[in-house]
Amino acid sequence: MEVDYDRLEEALRVWSEERSCFEDREPAFTTDAGIPVKDLYTPLDTRGLDYLRDVGFPGQPPFTRGIYPNMYRGKLWTIRLFSGFGTPEETNARWKLLLREGETGFSAACDNLTTLALDPDHFPGIEAEVGKEGVPLYSIRGMEALIDGLPIDRMSVALVVTPMAAPAITTCYLNLADRAGIPREKLQGTTQSDVVTSSLAIMPWGAVSPERMLKLTCDLIEYTICMKEVPRWNPVNFTTYNYREGGITAVQEIALGLAAAVAHIDELLRRGWKADDFVHRLAFHLSAHRDFFEEIAKYRAARKLWYRLLKERYRPENPRAYHFRFHVQTAGSSLTAQQPMVNIIRTTVQALEAMLGGCQSLHTNSYDEAICLPSDEAVTLAVRTQQVLREETGVASVVDPLAGSYYVEHLTARLEEMIWEYFLRIEEQGGIIRALQSGWVHGEMAEAFHKRRRDQESGRERVVGVNCHVQECEEPPPSFRINPDAGRIELERLRRLRRERDNRLVERLKDELRGVCERDENVLPVVYRLTAAGASLGEIADIYREVWGVWQAPVGV
Amino acid sequence: MAGAGGGVREMGAAKGKGADKRLGRPVRVLLFKPGLDGHWRGILAVARALVEAGMEVIFLGHRPLDAAVETAVQEDVDVIGISVLSGSHLEWTGMLEEALEREGVREDFLLLVGGVFPFEDHEELRRLGADGVFGPGTDTRDIVSFIRGKLR
Repeated sequence: MEVDYDRLEEALRVWSEERSCFEDREPAFTTDAGIPVKDLYTPLDTRGLDYLRDVGFPGQPPFTRGIYPNMYRGKLWTIRLFSGFGTPEETNARWKLLLREGETGFSAACDNLTTLALDPDHFPGIEAEVGKEGVPLYSIRGMEALIDGLPIDRMSVALVVTPMAAPAITTCYLNLADRAGIPREKLQGTTQSDVVTSSLAIMPWGAVSPERMLKLTCDLIEYTICMKEVPRWNPVNFTTYNYREGGITAVQEIALGLAAAVAHIDELLRRGWKADDFVHRLAFHLSAHRDFFEEIAKYRAARKLWYRLLKERYRPENPRAYHFRFHVQTAGSSLTAQQPMVNIIRTTVQALEAMLGGCQSLHTNSYDEAICLPSDEAVTLAVRTQQVLREETGVASVVDPLAGSYYVEHLTARLEEMIWEYFLRIEEQGGIIRALQSGWVHGEMAEAFHKRRRDQESGRERVVGVNCHVQECEEPPPSFRINPDAGRIELERLRRLRRERDNRLVERLKDELRGVCERDENVLPVVYRLTAAGASLGEIADIYREVWGVWQAPVGV
Repeated sequence: MAGAGGGVREMGAAKGKGADKRLGRPVRVLLFKPGLDGHWRGILAVARALVEAGMEVIFLGHRPLDAAVETAVQEDVDVIGISVLSGSHLEWTGMLEEALEREGVREDFLLLVGGVFPFEDHEELRRLGADGVFGPGTDTRDIVSFIRGKLR
């Protein structure tokens, strides 16, 4: 397309005059992140962009168009549904259902006790939470039941827990893979272990400080990647999805993720490793939210910024280190309990954003998730949503098809600037760890969700079925119920393990871990032996709590 | 040690401005999360809305039931509100009701339960002792008018 910018400017002026006779529905339009949206975008809006420098080719710097040259024409994204409930056996059955229906990667949604590394007899009443929000995996026995009969030698598993549980749960898995004779270099998977999720996105219970959680995650990165114990593992997943769910914008989401990654890189460099020893295994988990074009531009900008950040600050030689690899989850907070079938449509649109944005892996929410954990029927539909997009739309035949859209390129460039500005603001706070410990980030998030609440209650942010297009008499869908015996079953599993294991060995190894924590050494080698010996996640994390103390999240009214 | 309390132990209190007509002072509300559920935005959104409506809110973060009941008595609040998004809403509501009965103070408070749970559980939550039940999609103004209506 030939463009004469002077003539275009003049033509646009004339057009604008004619157009001003047409009245708009609203006085102004903005994106979800507050970027003003004009009525029309033309080549004038992308005039400052240099195609080769700013957009380029997929698989080449600055990776705006994707990290692989052929993207989905080669390998399609992984269909990975975050899933878990009741007991490990029940979750195993759900995973087998998902596998039959076409899932291509597993992701363990763990219950609160597992996520926070607490035993089900930690305090009275707590057994009420067993298996409620996810699968209970309190020891190697739970993990064994979860993965029983699943092809973990060729399919990846994501373990979604806080850094409090990350070393223990990962070594439960490694111990079982070792026993099954699966070569470590074939083993693929992810441990979420995200410090920001664990201190900001959730209000943690009994967690150590963000600084100590950073240490635990860096221990895991060091052990699996730097020391090459599990070379294809993703030892951390910067889960910006979880921060975004708190009401912040796409700009804040990515900036916080980059700031989190920087904290980990800097800590490992401080330990004496080189960027090339580990940066290629750092991965992200992003949200797909309600502003269609802005979300697509967000993925493009994030890839570009990761490249820029590494090139400016760390300069690794491994070209794969510059690949911003990310999983996407459609936005749970966009779902409504009212008229829940409408959630299928929201999820489809958001999944399309992820696909047009070049994700590596995708979770699609089930329509009943604003009410309960998903039923078999709802979760199968969520898999089908991805399959329709893969098989029936033609979108996977082409790489980054929205490149060159004046609007999308403009948004990508604008988001890149805004994310970088916010990233620098976090650095001004002393980096992400200090910004978490001081409560600065909590304040930012509180402002964001109070604003969102006001916008929704005033009707400024429209939500179908909640503040517009409301249905008066609704027939609620049947809700999925969690096994009420899960608490009893899991307490018994743990008690049996404590009777059968070599308790003297466990006590000796716990003393060893105490020493490792006091001397600030890597916890992984001894935690590997502890989980093999049958120590629970809670027993292991209690040593961190004992040596380092428990942190109070700076959350207030 | 963790067993004693949880993530947020420091009490956050915020005072609204308006005195309740009947009480002659602002309505006092205690909010906390029983159990481990870390979803903190909903309860803080409610806290802020109640403060904006002139009420006085004491937010305890995570707190064991007995400790929260003790604080409710000491602080002489009018309303106790819990938020549960972990799927354990029936259990925690039942246990809170029991703790209040055990202390013989059940009649002193209006008990509110919020969070994410099936609509069909609203009835069961009321049967277990909740005076007000607020599920996903609730407008915070409805919580304010509910409290005002009940305390009148």
